[in-house]
Formats: sequence, C-alpha cells, structure tokens
Amino acid sequence: MLVLVVAALLINAGCSKGFLDKPALGSLVGPQISNTAGVAALVTGAYAALDGQGQSNTAIGGGNPWEASPSNWIYGSVAGGDSHKGSGIGDQPPIVPIANAQEIPSNGFFNNKWRALYEGVTRTNLVLQTLAISPSVKAADRSEFAGEAKFLRGHFYFELRKFFKMVPWIDEKTTDFKQPNDVDIFPKIEADFLAAIDSLPVNQPNVGQANKWAARCYLAKVYLYEKKYTEAKALFDQIIPSGYGGTGAGGVTSNNLPYGLTDRFEDNFDAATKNSKESVFAIQMTAHDGTNSIAHANGGDMLNFPYSQPFGCCGFYQPSIDLANSYRTDAGGLPYITDYNAHGVANDMGLTSDKPFTPDNGNLDPRIDWTVARRGIPVHDWGLHPGFNWIRDQASAGPFSNKKNLYWQATQASFADQSTWAPGSAINYSVIRFADVLLMAAECEAQLSNYAQAEIYVNFVRARAAKPANILYQYLDNTKPLKGFSTTPAANYVINQYAPGAFTATTALPAIYFERKLELACEGHRFFDLARWGIAAATLNAYFQFEGQITGDLTTGNFTANKNEYFPIPQAQIDLSNGKLKQNDNY
Amino acid sequence: MPFKTNALARVGYLACMLLLFNCSLFAQKTVTGRIINNADKQPISGATIQVKGTKVATQTGADGSFSINVPQDNNVLLISVIGYQNLQLPVSGRSAIGDIALTMAVTSLNEIVVTGYAVQRKKDLTGAVSVVDLADAKKQPVPDVVNMLQGQASGVSVVSSGQPGQSPVIRIRGFNSFGNNTPLYVVDGVPTQNVSDLNTNDVSSIQVLKDAGAASIYGARASNGVIIITTRKGAGKVKVSYDGYYGRQVPKGGNVWHILNPTEGGQLLYQAQQNYNTLKKPTDPVQALGSPIYGSGATPVVPDFLVSGTAGGVTNTGGFAAGSAAVDPSLYNFDLTGANNYLIARANKGGTDWYHEIFKAAPIQQHNISVSGGNDQGSYLFSLNYFNQQGTLINTYLKRYTIRSNVTYKLGSKIRIGENLAYSAIQNPQALSGILVEGSAIGMAMRENSIIPVYDIFGNYSGTAPKGLNNPRNPVALQRNTRNDRGLAGRLFGNVYGEVDLMKNLTFRTSFGGEYYTGWSHSFNTPDYYNFEPQFKSPSYTETSYTGNDWTWTNTLSYNWIKGDHNLKLVGGMESYQFINHNLGGTTLGSFSIDPNYVNLSTGSGTTTNYSNSNPQINYSPSTTGYKAPIGSGESLVSYFARADYTFKEKYLLGATFRRDGSSKFITHRWGNFYAVSAGWRISQESFLQDAKWITDLKIRGSYGVMGNQFNALGTNSYFLYGSNKQTTYYDISGSGSLGYGLSQSQIGNPNAKWEQDGNANVGFDLTILGGKLTISADWYNKSIKDLLYQITLPGTQGAATVPAYNVGRMKNSGVDLMVSGQTNITRDLKFVGTVTFTTVSNKILQIDANGSQYFDLDGRRFNGSNIIRNAVGHPVSAFYGYKVIGFWNSQAEIDAADLAASKASNGSVTTYQNAEGVGRFRYADVSKQGWIDNNSKTFLGNPSPKFTYGLNLGLDYKNFDFSMFLYGVYGNDVWNNIKWWTDFYASFPGAASSKTALYDSWTPTKHNAKAPVQDAVNGSNASTNTVPNSYFVEKGSYLRAKNVTLGYTFGGNGLTKVGISKIRAYLQAANLFTITKYSGIDPEISVNGMNGQNSATDFGIDEGAYANPRQYLLGLQITF
Repeated sequence: MLVLVVAALLINAGCSKGFLDKPALGSLVGPQISNTAGVAALVTGAYAALDGQGQSNTAIGGGNPWEASPSNWIYGSVAGGDSHKGSGIGDQPPIVPIANAQEIPSNGFFNNKWRALYEGVTRTNLVLQTLAISPSVKAADRSEFAGEAKFLRGHFYFELRKFFKMVPWIDEKTTDFKQPNDVDIFPKIEADFLAAIDSLPVNQPNVGQANKWAARCYLAKVYLYEKKYTEAKALFDQIIPSGYGGTGAGGVTSNNLPYGLTDRFEDNFDAATKNSKESVFAIQMTAHDGTNSIAHANGGDMLNFPYSQPFGCCGFYQPSIDLANSYRTDAGGLPYITDYNAHGVANDMGLTSDKPFTPDNGNLDPRIDWTVARRGIPVHDWGLHPGFNWIRDQASAGPFSNKKNLYWQATQASFADQSTWAPGSAINYSVIRFADVLLMAAECEAQLSNYAQAEIYVNFVRARAAKPANILYQYLDNTKPLKGFSTTPAANYVINQYAPGAFTATTALPAIYFERKLELACEGHRFFDLARWGIAAATLNAYFQFEGQITGDLTTGNFTANKNEYFPIPQAQIDLSNGKLKQNDNY
Repeated sequence: MPFKTNALARVGYLACMLLLFNCSLFAQKTVTGRIINNADKQPISGATIQVKGTKVATQTGADGSFSINVPQDNNVLLISVIGYQNLQLPVSGRSAIGDIALTMAVTSLNEIVVTGYAVQRKKDLTGAVSVVDLADAKKQPVPDVVNMLQGQASGVSVVSSGQPGQSPVIRIRGFNSFGNNTPLYVVDGVPTQNVSDLNTNDVSSIQVLKDAGAASIYGARASNGVIIITTRKGAGKVKVSYDGYYGRQVPKGGNVWHILNPTEGGQLLYQAQQNYNTLKKPTDPVQALGSPIYGSGATPVVPDFLVSGTAGGVTNTGGFAAGSAAVDPSLYNFDLTGANNYLIARANKGGTDWYHEIFKAAPIQQHNISVSGGNDQGSYLFSLNYFNQQGTLINTYLKRYTIRSNVTYKLGSKIRIGENLAYSAIQNPQALSGILVEGSAIGMAMRENSIIPVYDIFGNYSGTAPKGLNNPRNPVALQRNTRNDRGLAGRLFGNVYGEVDLMKNLTFRTSFGGEYYTGWSHSFNTPDYYNFEPQFKSPSYTETSYTGNDWTWTNTLSYNWIKGDHNLKLVGGMESYQFINHNLGGTTLGSFSIDPNYVNLSTGSGTTTNYSNSNPQINYSPSTTGYKAPIGSGESLVSYFARADYTFKEKYLLGATFRRDGSSKFITHRWGNFYAVSAGWRISQESFLQDAKWITDLKIRGSYGVMGNQFNALGTNSYFLYGSNKQTTYYDISGSGSLGYGLSQSQIGNPNAKWEQDGNANVGFDLTILGGKLTISADWYNKSIKDLLYQITLPGTQGAATVPAYNVGRMKNSGVDLMVSGQTNITRDLKFVGTVTFTTVSNKILQIDANGSQYFDLDGRRFNGSNIIRNAVGHPVSAFYGYKVIGFWNSQAEIDAADLAASKASNGSVTTYQNAEGVGRFRYADVSKQGWIDNNSKTFLGNPSPKFTYGLNLGLDYKNFDFSMFLYGVYGNDVWNNIKWWTDFYASFPGAASSKTALYDSWTPTKHNAKAPVQDAVNGSNASTNTVPNSYFVEKGSYLRAKNVTLGYTFGGNGLTKVGISKIRAYLQAANLFTITKYSGIDPEISVNGMNGQNSATDFGIDEGAYANPRQYLLGLQITF
C-alpha cells in the first residue's frame, strides 16, 4: 500500500509527455520559410551579405568590419598602390604586409575576407535549396529568386576568384563542405551569370535588386578577367548605348534609367545622388537605419576619415603621392602616362600645419580633388585641408586624406551615422558603375585592335571629367565653409580628350590602364587590374621604389611575380580542410 | 540534503524510550542531569545516555537536560554524542548529577557528512570527499562561498580578482570540459550553478565531492565536481548573534606599471626616431625629430599646455608653450556635440599617475544578525545580512542584502516538513567593458600618456584630443561616467521538503526547490570629445532586464537495513528539472538633457532599439555578444537514480551509484547512464593493526565511475535554425533608407550530440594517528574525458551560422590531492592547529577533432591573425604559443650570415632567415631545425595552469587570544603579460604611455645587453618585435600570498552573562597582507579572461590590466546573546 503511494509520488512532473522537448525560441525552422515570403526574405538576406558586415561592429564571418569591406580598400587600393594604409604604422599592422606585397597565409585578414565571401555564397545557396523544397512558390517568382541568387553567387565567387585564384566550389547541392580547390571556377561563375541573365527582368521594383543588364555587365567583366575579349565585346556592344559609342540601344538600371555618365563625377560618391544612371550595380548603404549601428552604413570603411575631429576617426586610407602625381596633366590636358612622378604635384610632406604651404599651381585633372584631399584645398564643405593636423602620422603614410569616402557636412544629419565610435555613411559602394563599363569595353576593343572605338570610350570618361560641374571652387569664406563656393577654381584644372587617332597598338592599352587608375582610384579595383594585366610586379615595385623613399610604411615592399598576383589561401582554411585545400603557388 | 540521521536517530530513540516506559516500570530510580560542552559550557542537545549493559537509554533535550530511569544505584551511564568523546559515568547512588561536561572529540571520524542524496559517517566514506573546515574558511572577509574555498579543500582551485561581485573561477581537479567547468552546487538539496549570493554566515557545512564514487549520483551534471552546501539549522534555546566587520581596502602603491614621466616620454620619442634614422635603409626617408607634443627641436621640450580645437579658422592641436596665442583661455570652448570644441589643458609635467587616479582606498563592511533555536518539535533560523564592498577601482561596488529563513517542523513522530529559503537583493555594477581586456578603464590607465592631466583648465575632462598622444581614453572619465549607472538584482533560492517514515527504516522524502530571479540595470554614456577617438558621439542610454526561474523536484525513498555486522543503506529516487530565462532591453541615442534623472529609454531623442529573447545567458543582448541571433530555449532534465552503501563490521565498505538522465539538449542520444562503484577497507580495524596504538584509524579507498556533462551544449544545439537580424540579414534593397526584411541560417544543428563522459578513477587513504592529533588524507586520481562537446570551427565554406557543439574532444587529467591537519596543546593554555592542503593537476588534451584540426587557437588581441593561445593535442589547455626569443640581432653581419645559411638549407628558396629581421630586433629560435624561421618555428611558450597549488592554515589559541594565518600559493604557472605589448614597445602605440623598460632597458646601437628590442618610431612594429606572439610576454606566475592574518580576543565571564551576552569576540584581520612573486605585473592572480571578459576554460592566463586583489584591513566583532 505504502509502496503504491510512494510510486505515485515518484511519478512527478518529469514524466509528463514532452517535458524533455524544448523548442528553440526566437528562431524559425525549415518548414516556416519554405514559401514565397520565406524565400523572398532569404534573397534579401543574401543581398545583406554584400556589405560583409555582421552585427555588433564585426565582419560577417568574424573579425573587424574593415577586414571584409566590400570596397576592398585594403586589398584593391592599398595593395594596388592607390593608397596608403594610413594612420600610424603600428595601427592595424596586418595591413602593412598586404601593402608591401609581403603577405603570409596566416594573416587573419584573408581568413575573415574568405569567411565573409563564403557566408555570401552560403546565403545564395540557401535560397536555391529552399526554393527546391517550396512547391508553393509561383514559377515567375521562382525564376526571379533563382536569378537573383545566382547573380549574387556569381558576385561572391568572382570576388573569391580574383582574390584567391583557386577556391572550392560550393553550391546548393553540396553536402561535404571540405571540397578541394583544384578546378578553376570561372566556367561556373559564367554559368551563374548566364542563368541570371536568363531569369532576371530588366526593371525591378527595388533599385537595389540586380537586373538583367547588371548581370550582363558582370558577365562581361568576368569575360574580361578571363581575357575572352570577343565574348566580352559582344556583351558590351549590347550594354553600351549607341550614344556612348555602343551598337545597341543599351542597358538600363534597375530603376529604368538608361546607362550613362552623370555630369558630376562626385555624384557617384555622394549619398544624396546615389542610384543614378551610372550605377550599374551598387551595394546599398544607409545611415540611421534604426539599428544604432553602422552595419549598413559602410561599416567596412569606418576607419577611412581624416584623422581629426569632427570625424573622430581614424586617418586610414590615405591616397598615395604616386596617385596624386598621376593627375598632373600636360599643356594639352592629357596625363603623363609613363613619367608622371617626374611631374609631381606639390604636397606638404614634412610640414606641420602652422608652416606656410602653397598648393600646386600646375595643370591638374579635376578628378584629383574629388579623390585626394590635400592641403589648402576645400574638403567638401568641411574647410580647407590643414595638412599635418588631419593626418595621423605623415611620416608614415603621406600627406593626403581620402575623399571618395567622405560625406558632406551640410547633409551629415541624413547621410552620416555617428552611432558607433567611427563614422558610418550612406554612400553606396559601386561594384560596377558605367564609367567602369566604358573603360572595360575600351580595354576589350583595344585587345581586339579596335583602337578608335577604344578611344571613343575613354574619351567619354574624360569628357565627363572635363565638364564644368567637376571644377572644385574656392570657398566664399575659408572660415565658414558651409557658406558655399566662389567662382574661383581651387586649382588649375586642365583636362582634355585624346585627339582622334591617338590610340594605337602601342599607346591604347597604357592609356586605358592609366585612365582606369585616374577614374577608379580608391574604389578597390587597382590591385586586381594590375594583377590581371600582368604588370603588377613592375608597377608595384616601381611604386615601392618611389613612394617608399617618401613615406615610412613601404620600406619592406617587394612584389614577387607569379606569386603576389593572388593572395594566399588562408592558412586557417587549409588547416580546416583536412588537406583538401592547396596553397597558391610560391606561398 | 536533509536526511539528518541524528534527527532520525532522535525519533527512533524517543520511540524506544516510550516502549521502555511501558515494560519496565518497577524497581527503578530516576536520575537527572545536564550535558554541557566542556569548552563553552553550552548545553548539548541530542546526546544519548544509556545505562551500561542494558537497553535503557534516553536523549537530552534542547536545554541539554535528561532524565533516565536507572535500574540500580551502581549502574554506569554511557554518554555519547557525535562530535564529542564518549564518557562513562558511575551513578554512584546520585539522583541529580548536575552538569556533565563532554570534551569535543579530536577525531572527526564520526562526523556526519552529506553526500549525494544521503548522509554518511566520515569513516564510512568510500569516495573522495573534501570536508571543508568552515571555522577556517569563514575567517576570510569574502562575500561568497566560492572565495571561501580557496586553499581550504584539496583538489579545489579558486582564482579571484579584486573586482567586487566578480565570480571567482573555481575548478575541481582541473579541467573537465572545453567550456563550462563550474561545479554543480547542491544547496540544501537543490542543484544550481550560482551561489554568488549565498550568505556565507548561513552555511553550516560544505562537502566537495571530487571523484565518481562520490559525485556520479549527480550523473548529468557531476563531471565538474559537486559541492554540497548545507545551510544552518536552529537548535537549543533562542540564540541571537551578531557578526560584523568594517575595513579598509588599499590598492597597491607605487608606479605599478613602471610608466615614464613626461620628460622621459619625450626622451623615448627622440630615441625611437634616432634609432630609426640610424638603422634605416639608405633609400628610406629620414624621420624628422619631434612630435606635435614635444616640438621639433634638437631635444624634446615638455610643453606647458595641451590644446586641441579650431578657433577662427585656425586649428591648433598638440603641445604649446605658455604665452602662445593658442593657449588663450578666451578661445576655450567645450561643446557636447563636439562641433566647436577648443580644449586647453595644463600639461602635467610631473606626470599623472593614472593607476592611482582610478584606484583608491575603499571601505568594506559586513553585518550579520541571526536568530535561531529549536526543540523537539522543530527548529528555526532567521538571518539578515548586509554586505557592502566598495571597489578599489572607483565606481565599482557590491551591495548585497540577504535574508534567510530555515524552518523545520515535526508533525508527530513520522512526518517532518521544512523549508530553506533565502532572498537576496544585489547592486553590483561591474567595470563596464570587463577587465583584462583592451578597452577597460584599467587598460586605458596603462596607456594614457602621463603628460595628460585628469581635468583641463576649466575642470572638464582632459584627454588625448591634442595630436601626438595617440588614442587612449581618459580612464577617470570612463569610470566616473558610470557613477549614475544603476542596477538591482533579486533572487529567491531555496526549497520546501517533507519526509515521511513509511515504516521502520524506510523514509520517503520529497523536495521542491529552485530559484526565481530578476534583475535590471541601466547605463548612460555621454559624449567624450576630450578623447581623440570619441567612443560616444551622442548620449547613449541602455537598459536591460532579465527574469528567470528554475526548479528541481526530487523524490527519494531511503531504506536502512541493519542485521548483525551488516549495514546496508539504499536510496532510490527521481528528479526533474526545468529552466527558462528571459531578457529584455534596449538602447537609445541622443537626449535633450544629460541629467541622469531625466534620461530613460522613452526620453532619448534618437532611435530606440529593443530586443527580447529567451537565451539562457543572463543579460544576453544581441548588441553586446557574438551570438548571431536572439535564439534561446528552455532546458529540462529528467533523472532516475539509486545508490547502495554497504558496510560489514564497519571494516569493509562498498558503494555503488547509478543514474539515468534525459536532457532536452539532445535528441538522438537523449538519455545517458552513469554509474560508479567504490570500496573502502578500514585496515586499522583489522586485528593485525590493533596493536599499533599510534594508528587511530586507517582506511584505503578506491572508486571508478563515469560522470556526465551537458553544460556545453546550448538548449538549441540540435536544431537547424533560421533567423533575422537587423544588422546582418536586413538590407536596404529599395535604396530608400528603410531596411527590407531578410533571413539567413542562424544555427547549424547537431541532432546527434550526446553527453560528455568522464571516466574517473580514484585511489586514496585516510589516516588518523596519535589519537586524532594528526590526520592525513590523500588521493590520486585519473580522469579520462571523452566526447567533449565543443563548438569546432567549421570550414568557411559552410557559412557563418552559429556552430553547434559536437562530441569531438578527449582530455585527460590526473593529480594528487593531499590534506594534512594536526592539532596539539603546546602548553595547557596554548593550542596549535594547522592544516595543509596540496593539489596537483596535470592536464593533457588527447583529441580535438578526429576528423579535423589537431588544435584550435584563441585570443589574438592586437596580434591580428595569430593567436596567443593554442589548445593542441598532447598539450594542456590554454597553452601559450608563439616564437621563442633567443636574443637580439646585434649586427647586419649576423643577419646576413643567417640569410645565407637559410638559403643554403632551403636550396635557395628561402632568402630571408626571419620575417622582418632587423638589427636590434628579436631573434627567434629555430625550434623545428629547418634552417629558417616561419610558421613551423612557433612553439609552446608556457602553461597558465599551475603545477600545484597549496594552502596553509595555522592557528594558535592562547587563553582568550586566537591567532590564525592562511597562506595560499600556486607554483609553476606562466602568465602572458600583455601589458608589455602596450608599454615596452614604443611603436605599438606611439604617443601613448611607455615603460621605463622601453626607455632605459631597450636595445640601442650602443647597448646590446637589453631586455626590450630596439625602439623604432617608424619600423618598430613588425613580426620580429611585437606583431606576433613571442616569448617576450611570458613570465613566471608562481606566488605565495598571505591571504589572511587574524588576531582575535574573546571576552567572557559572568559580567557579560548578567547583561545577557554569552560571548563577545573582537578581531583584527589583514587580507592579502603580502605576496611573494617574481611576476612583474600588479597581481599574479589572473582570473577572468577571454575577449568578452568571460572566463573560459580554453583561453586564460593573459593579463591586460588586472583588477588586482587589494590589501584589506578589518576590525570585526562577534556577539552572541
């Protein structure tokens, strides 16, 4: 009897059915997202990986935000000689070997960039996997979702391919994530963009979505990297409107603007004028997005402001003297392509702010003053650049500050975000803008010996730069920069198009290459351009030779051909792959 | 655990007595008396008085008195009570014997100890159980039980910090998992992992169950060891006692980090610039001497003022001389928006001692009042405790109020019910960004240049805003800004229980207990434009709250079978457990006013964010942790268990336990079985040792069993989950500035996870000699842990979702626990007691991941890309890893020779012996003997775990004086002194504070015999100096610390008794009086670590600014009424 009582008592709450089943709270499980709304949200989630930013001011796969910046300011611009790391030499020291072509596989920056890009791949694969088990999604939506996923996957893999050369291919069917990197993935990238071209519409309800034309542009870029100039040209001919020298009606942006160049060069670097006709595919950035963070506000470039209040941080990404010198023009308004450093632009290296300095009064391409912030010249509406006082360590990284990353004072309430210790901004990052398309097309034409056509394209880019809208004027009052600008140019801007016939078998490619440098400086392209052109070793060793004698941060620079054109596969990933991943040559 | 055998025995004896009354009413004589303690003359209740040679017996009541019927005048009374020496007393015809004084037993063999779901006599134990001597442990002025255990129990290691309210790190017998190593506490039968708010005055006993034989009955959660805590019960007549102390805590004095003064700072700057110019390549640019602070002359000039700001279109930043136009006070402007600041501060030419600007002497006090009593119908204990410790770091403190009520009732002879409940209210703001990590006020204090004053010329905070001082933040401002932060946490913890004697020797017990807690805190940050890189550009207000509860319901049935020489105790039971926690909070930016009374989440002028989740981590918020999404879940356990303890002739002892646990964290392998067997042999009871009179007792013991662990799997470990996060999965796809809803995979699931299994063998002996004057207890153990749950790093190709724990690792621990205690009367009045505890732990990782990496690295700090810690197969956890420094490159010729040799060894493929090699820089050891230095040349540089730890308690009593001293030491560990990264390398952060070592003991072209490498203003940061972990940072961490020295005096006598006071003791105490160590940092006791300020089993031993344990001086008073 007693035993029965006890037995009854022993059966306490723990025996109730399901007591040990505790569902996850605050999360979704597979069946909840296998539908149209779920897949649409997964597609947005894949777009969200474009900026490389995770939460709480980290990169999406770990590490600091800048390690996975989509602007590739470290890997494309600093490594390419556009720019110095900036700040002091001891600040973010892993960038120093990247700037000096002394990369080692254990550098954590590569691992974090790798992880961020593969998180992007994973998100696109998740879209495709979920689509496959979501029969309720209508055919039109299905095509659209798949197209966007493949476009984005193509983008992430293209980044991986240009960074690391041999990378493992993971798609929606992969179950073993330890895959070898023994096959060139360019054909698979092409296939993704071809599928995207098939699936994507011309017009999109949201300007941030990729459209059919963006996919064509990206595929053309892939072809260019593969040196498939004929295939690339075929696409460029469709993309570029006849008004710009193309053969077709031309492409349009997602918001149905026919491709073209904005009059103001600066419009591409101003949040107020984003998603213009020049914006082929851009990563959307926004300030004050309600997160009290800069995760969507160019968090990857948070360090890249002049080193002083009112920016607060951090004096990185300082354009190089070599770059500034490149903007020197001759009497005819054309660049000194081979000996620009012999025609250097005056700078205030070695001068403190209280010592007098007269800005350069020679001929300059106006793009210099929308790219390089230099002493004595208006920095947007923030005032004249004071030189030394806005530079963290001039002896280390030179006298300049970055301008393309900089928001305007008048509109900072809308387009800058001060919720984190370093500023965020709403300036979009253009993965491809139309000026880039024109210059890529020019390159194809030149490679196919169509020099005249190449010159037409290049001249369009130069013609825009020459427009009056691109003249930077002096302030009305240097002590009150917000009052506006006078009608006196800040420098002696002289720029012209190449004369007809100037492009020949020997001159065309150097001129195109140089134009890319001028037009796309500090946009993260330079290193990858030099690498694919096969001139990285010569160009960068010359840069180390020249710049290294002026600044202190390049004293170890030495580019090894057939090695440094690609970054090393991250050692951490090789270790995790059970030996399936093989290191790139010569690392 | 409330199986109080003495209570049971009491009931049994009472029953016996009743029976006896009935059957032997004749020829008897009543004898009365009172049993008292010889030492304090207090009555002893529950003593047994038996007439020798008969079954006639009784027990004393609460007042110690007894009355017994003695058959004949010449009978002898046998008086016995646990804890006292037995006494035989002839009646000798008396009927009123009066007070009978019992002397306390010197041997504790009969002491009753609470073990897993049972109580046992100490002499019957077969498992490894440390019984803590509370008299010693309670002497320390520590707020919690865990601190109290340091050095008091062998096999237990405790590391604490000076931060009030910071949980000390406790480990029992080393490491049992890669994650949570906190033992399971069982407080009055209720399992918990948090005893931080338990009032130490309420504790009556602590047992540490160390091996499987003792702990395995707690199966699922036993692997980290189990600490059984019983709180006090009332007994005897009403007793009121007060216990309190007041004291002062003093931080370490002097220039603790050996920081340079402003003049020396200028000298170091010039030295570093000259070194560069001397050593640079001919083509490299020449560095101009000077800085914005020290001018550009031939020698550094310490400025009079530090200025930053723009006025009239002119920007002034740096150091300026008195009289300069830049220092005109009328230019001064302090603007909270930072827009128009013009800040002027007078340079502190003498040098600001930042450490002592934030570390100040601080008071500590505790007051405890308890009321207790009891009789044969029940007992009660009420206590009230107030603890207030101001931290030596300004604006840190712990204030705690605790009340407790423990009550028992007896309903008739067979039913007992009771409750043990405590409620605590806690205010405990901890140093904001944690300690030992970059960014804390302590970390800033060692970095902020000493030329900067605390305040500027108008009394606002000064800082690094002037150029040339780098970017540290004013540490005083960092801490002072927290002064309006508030927080309050409350916790109710305890249980209610009932016991029924179902039949003779069969008892049923049910206990329902657990905790309910809730807490809230807010913090407010104001703009800090006085710092070069302001952290807060607009006011930022954050508020968080949490609430949660868990409960455990335990039902057990105990049976005790005695026949002849056989004694068998059986316990069987079932237990269920459930836990859930909820967090809620938000942040808002901007505020019309920064008046702390105005600001809240609703008055912020900017965006307000909010979050809520059911994450088991208290105060978890998506914005402050690395978790991907606010996932969480409840947790539950169901368990069945049984134990059997058998003794034969009190000589041969056998024990067995079994437990079957089911956990909500696992799906495929939900249930786990855990068992243990143990045996003991009291050799001293054998006839062949009966003649060895000096041996009082000798027992050898052995056990083997398996314990489990599931702490290291999250509740959601099994599930594949998807989630959204505004920062990482939302996207402004419309380009309009409003985010579109996005999703991604938030967690990868591992439905096949299962319990960690800890196979645990133990052999030991307990020896008591010389009539109890000396006892020795020693154990050797070996723990082999398999299926360690660990969140392995997955290949990047799998994405960035949260990785679940997989059962991948294996680890081994072995060691020796030794405890020796002795006591003796040196003279009649002079008594000596001493206890030594000694603990060794040897830990080795046997497997990380059979299918993957053989190591995992953690904690990169500023060594981006390479980590300080490597957990590798064949090595102990958290080992330091990097290059071994063997000296300096003293000349280019040495480097050239090394390059040539490297080229030869590599057949020309390696032309540089060592990355970034250079004159005056470190030369690394070629440990792999390959002929050059690369990744393969890294080696293990140290082990933060000590080889052994030891505690020494010494006590002397002379008449009314008592003196005690407790020494604690660790030996054989290493510390990674990361402070050196900031202070010993000018190039790490030029312009910030540097050390005397950097200036006076660094390599220069004329001084090759140095400690630090060459200070180089331009090329000083590189892989041959400070950008890779190397042995420069490793130091010996051994220390011996006088944790406690106490001198007390007890007042007594009739004078006091007349006013109702039975005892007054006053004492003086000094804690952390001295420390003997070679460690160069402030405090070798390095506790909490890890990049999030979280303690971690696989990442510790790094000092980046410890919150040092202060010296404490206390005056205490104990009064009993």
